[in-house]
Amino acid sequence: MTKKMKVRVFLIAASCLLLANLVGGDFAAAAADPDSHLNFGCYNYSDSLDPATNTNASWAGMRFGITECLFKFSKQVVAEPNICDTYSVSDDYKTWTLHIREGVKFSNGNPVTASAVKNCIQRLYDMTDSEKGGTGNSVPRGYLRYDSISADDAAGTVTLVCQKPTSNIPGILAYPYFAIIDISVADSEIVGSGPYRVTDFKPGTSVDLARNVHYWNGEVPYGTITILFINDSSTKAMALQSGDVDLVENITTAIDLENLKADTENYYVSVAAGVRTANSYMNYKGVLENDTLRQAIMLALDKKTMCDVTVGGMYTAGYSVLPSSLAYNYEKLKNPYEFNRQAAIDLLDKAGIVDTDGDGFRELDGKTINLDHVTFTSRNLDEFAEAAYLQLADIGIQTTVNVRDYDTALALLNAGEFDLWTCNTLTVGVGDPQDYLANWYSGNSKSFGFYSSPRYAAAYEQLQVEVNNDRRLELITEMQQILIDDAATIIYGYYNSSMASDVHKVTGADIATIDYYWLTTDIKPVK
Amino acid sequence: MAVAVFAPYIATHDPQQAILTDARQSPSGAHWFGTDRMGRDLFSRVVYGARTSLASTMALVVCIFTIGSLMGIVAGYSGGLVDTVIMRVSDMMVSFPGMALAIAMAGIMGPSITNAVIAITMVSWTKYARLARSLVLKIKHEDFVLAARISGGRHRHILWRYMFPAVVPTLVITAATDMGGMMLELAAFSFLGLGAQSTSIEWGYMLNQGRAYMQAAPWLMIFPGLAIFITVVIFNLLGDSLRDVLDPRDTGGAGQYTPLVVQLEKGIES
Repeated sequence: MTKKMKVRVFLIAASCLLLANLVGGDFAAAAADPDSHLNFGCYNYSDSLDPATNTNASWAGMRFGITECLFKFSKQVVAEPNICDTYSVSDDYKTWTLHIREGVKFSNGNPVTASAVKNCIQRLYDMTDSEKGGTGNSVPRGYLRYDSISADDAAGTVTLVCQKPTSNIPGILAYPYFAIIDISVADSEIVGSGPYRVTDFKPGTSVDLARNVHYWNGEVPYGTITILFINDSSTKAMALQSGDVDLVENITTAIDLENLKADTENYYVSVAAGVRTANSYMNYKGVLENDTLRQAIMLALDKKTMCDVTVGGMYTAGYSVLPSSLAYNYEKLKNPYEFNRQAAIDLLDKAGIVDTDGDGFRELDGKTINLDHVTFTSRNLDEFAEAAYLQLADIGIQTTVNVRDYDTALALLNAGEFDLWTCNTLTVGVGDPQDYLANWYSGNSKSFGFYSSPRYAAAYEQLQVEVNNDRRLELITEMQQILIDDAATIIYGYYNSSMASDVHKVTGADIATIDYYWLTTDIKPVK
Repeated sequence: MAVAVFAPYIATHDPQQAILTDARQSPSGAHWFGTDRMGRDLFSRVVYGARTSLASTMALVVCIFTIGSLMGIVAGYSGGLVDTVIMRVSDMMVSFPGMALAIAMAGIMGPSITNAVIAITMVSWTKYARLARSLVLKIKHEDFVLAARISGGRHRHILWRYMFPAVVPTLVITAATDMGGMMLELAAFSFLGLGAQSTSIEWGYMLNQGRAYMQAAPWLMIFPGLAIFITVVIFNLLGDSLRDVLDPRDTGGAGQYTPLVVQLEKGIES
C-alpha cells in the first residue's frame, strides 16, 4: 500500500467514525441498523407504564425494554447485578449498601446516579402511600419495608436500612415495582435506562419505541419498534402468520401454538418451563370448609388430561403450589389425592354427602351443593373452570362457572364472594416463593379463602425470619406438603410461557423463564 | 321449534357428557358434527342449543312486545304528561347503546342469558312503544272510540276492547320479523361473553368457544353458525308470511307493499 493510499484509508475510516458518532452518539449502538424495525404483538395489560401505578404497569415498562431494575433475574430465576454492580450487607441482614454502576444513563441522557436511584425508590413509596396522598396501586411494601434510604453520589452507593432482616434484597429489587426511572420527568413521561425509549404511547392501541442511544449494556438491535396490542390469542397468531407482526408473546390457544410449532420453516416458538401456577383458592367460609368435600374434589379432577388435552399442553400438570420446574423439592412431596373418580364418589357416599332429592346433585346439611366458581379469561383459566365443572358434575357436585373480567373477579375474591377462585400466579416474583406462600398464611388468607393451619402459620413465621437457605428450603417443602395434605387449594398445573417469531425476520426471540422481560437486546433482526 | 321440542329424541349423545380425552374430534360416524373442546358431542349440543336460543329469543321478543305495546298504548291514549314522560324515557333508552348497557349489566349482575335478555329489552321496547302510540293516535279520535266514551265506557275497557286489537296485528308482524334479528343479537352477546356462559348450551356461546379453533377445528364454528343462519332465515320468512296474512293494507302484492310504519307516520302528519 502506498503512502497516499494509507492516508486515504485513514481518512475514510476517520470519516466513518465521525459520522457514526454524529448520527448515533454512541458507536456501539450505532453499529445496529438504524432503519431496522420490529412489529411486536402482545396483550395489553396496562394503560400506564409508571411502576407506581399498578403491578401491570410496572411489568409493562420492563417487558417493553423501557425500564430496568438494579438487579435482573437470570434464566435460573436468580437475581443478578444489573444497574447495581456490587453490593454488601450487614451481618443482621438489615443494612444493604448498593453500588450503582458507573456510566449508566437514562434514555434521555440524564445519568443514573445514586441520588436518582434513591429518589426513584422514595417516589415509588410516596406515590403508593395513601396517607401522603399517593394514588398508585402498586404495593412495594408487600415486599420491602425500610427505615431509611440514603445516597452517596461521590461513592456511587445507595444505603438501604430495612425494618427487619431481609435476605433477598437483590430479588426484591429485581421486581418491576423497583424499576429505576428518571423522576425529574416522570410526571410527563416514563424514561428508564432500558434499550428502548417511548416515542408515542396510545393506551390500548400501540406503543412506538426508538433505540436508546445512551444504552449502557451493548448494542441495541432495532432502530424502532411498534408494539401492537392484540388481546385475542388467535388474532395474535394470525397476525404473525399474515406478516402484520414479526413477534408475539404467549399464544394461549393450544391449536394455534401447535400450528406455529409445526411450521418450523417459518416460525420459531420458544417455550419456557412454567413458574406460574394455575390454582383455585377454596373459600373456607362456605361449604368447602368440609374436609371430605375438598378431598373428593381433589380426587375427582383429572389434571393431567386437563393440562395435556383440554388446554393442549399449555400447562404442565402438578399438585403442589410451587412449580415442579423450580428447586423446591417437588419430587419429595407426596400427593394422597391422585385422580380417582370412584374414590371421590366413595368418599362422599361414606361421609353421607349424597343426593337425596334426586336432582343429580349431592346435598350437604340439607342444601344442594352449588359451588360458585369465579375466574376470568386469562391463560386458559376459563377452560380449567369448565373442565372442573364437568368433572365435578360427574361425581354429583354442582358448580356455577362465573367468568368475570379480572377486576370484578378480584373484587369478588377480596369480598370473599366465591367458593372457588381460579387464577394463574407468578410464584417466585422476587426469586423466592415467600410472598406467594403468604396467601395461605392465616394472617393474610382472609383475602384468599380464609385457610388456616397452625402448622403452616408457624412454618411461615419461621420462614419470614430465616436467612439460612437450606433451612428455608426445608420450611418451604414442609409448607407445600401441609397444603397438599389439607387439600387446601386445587392445583391444575404450571403455565408454560411462550414467544413466537417469524424466522425470516427475527432471531434470538426466546421467552424468559420469569416473564418480566420480553423485548431484550437478544431479539435481533435477521441479517 | 320441532328440533327444540324433540331434542332428546334427535340428539345422539348427552350434550353435557364430556370425555376430556376426546376433545376436538373431527366429524365422524360416531360424532356427526365432531366434538367440542371438552369432548362433548357437537351435534347433540347444536340440537339442544335450539332450546336455549329459541327460548331466550322468544322470551326477549315477548318482553319487548309486552312492555313496548303497553307503554305505547297508554302513552298514545292518555296524551299530556303521561305521553310526554313515557316518550322522553323512550328517547333516553333509544339513545343508550345496547352493548354498553349489557357490558355494564354483566359487570354488576354477572354475565348470563337472562341479563342479556334484560339489557336488550331495556333498549328495544321503545320501537314497539312508538309504533303502538302511532297506531293509537290514529284511531283515538275515531267515531267509534268517541261513541264508547260517550256511552260511559271506562278507559280500561276502551284500551282493551278498541285500542289493543287495533295495534296487535302490526306489532305481531313486527315481532315476527324481529325474531331473527333478536336471535342474532342474543347470539352476538353470548359470542362476546356477555350472555350465555360455559355451562349453558347456546349457539352464540358455541361460536365463541369455537373461534379459538377456527383454523384447526372449523366444525366448532361451522355447525352452530349454520344453525343460527338457518333459524334466522326461517324466522324472517315466517315474519314475511305473517305480514302477508295479517296486514290488511298489503293488497297490492309484494312489489307494491308500503311499510306500515311509513303509512302511519304519514297519517299522523296529515
